[in-house]
Amino acid sequence: MMTTLKELAGELISMFFGETWLTVALLALVAVTGLLIDFAGLDELVGGATLLFGSLVLLVASVYRAARRAF
Amino acid sequence: MTFATAAPAVTAAFLASLVEVVEAFTIVLAVATLRGWRPAALGTTAGLTVLTAIVLLLGPLLDRVPITSLQLAIGILLLLFGMGWLRKASLRAAGILPLHDEDAIFAAEAAQLGDQARRQQRNLDWVAGITALKAVLLEGLEVVFIVIAVGAGRGLLVPAGLGAVAACALVLAIGAAVHRPLSRVPENTLKFGVGVMLSAFGVFWTGEGLGIAWPGQDLALLLFAALFLGAGLIGSVFARKFAVEFA
Repeated sequence: MMTTLKELAGELISMFFGETWLTVALLALVAVTGLLIDFAGLDELVGGATLLFGSLVLLVASVYRAARRAF
Repeated sequence: MTFATAAPAVTAAFLASLVEVVEAFTIVLAVATLRGWRPAALGTTAGLTVLTAIVLLLGPLLDRVPITSLQLAIGILLLLFGMGWLRKASLRAAGILPLHDEDAIFAAEAAQLGDQARRQQRNLDWVAGITALKAVLLEGLEVVFIVIAVGAGRGLLVPAGLGAVAACALVLAIGAAVHRPLSRVPENTLKFGVGVMLSAFGVFWTGEGLGIAWPGQDLALLLFAALFLGAGLIGSVFARKFAVEFA
């Protein structure tokens, strides 16, 4: 039973935090975007574009990084 | 509720559930093939009962969370989850990661159960039932999260839930007819598509949670999805080039 619970917990964690680099980078991107909008008075649409294009760049970088590490 | 609002949520829930239910079905089928349908059905029923309890517990709690906080929390989780799927699908499409092989998973699960049968004669039905329960619970948790994530922010829990139920019904109907792992389902293509949709939802909800009013409202989701599709494909092309150069 404990093994099953541990496996479930592990699965739940890996659902969201499977790749540490991507997880940390995405959380940092969201935090920076939020701070810029709330405290630096950044226009919300510019903030939105930062979030969107930042995510796209992180995705490509994460795939490229994984491919490089595989060889 | 408009079609433009509901369609992406229902489609995402349906396709994501299709992938997860196919994976769970493979393991339940392995259990049923080796130990009969009784432990497989009992394990599946127990798994579905636990999942239902989780939904019933979480549902009322979600209503108490302020909508902006809910959108931000779910948006961030969707971003992490969706981009994780998209990243893996891009790497699989590039040949860096092996494709998900339902036949191989079925054989491995059957071999493991067979091994346990040789080592330990007692309680085999119990072990088989627990195996089925774990498969249903592990894959089902992802389905529950996706349904909540794409449905909760806009009051679309019921349509998204129906999308998931339709996927379950489809897999069970095909599975009952063919009695073998559904290895011909194009899992990576589906995962790529679902990763694109979940990532698009993730940016959308996170932005709304941060107070961003997206131009075009829900239609912005389509633009986001197109951009994530492009980024996933570009990543895959880069990775494939890398693989070809260094292989």
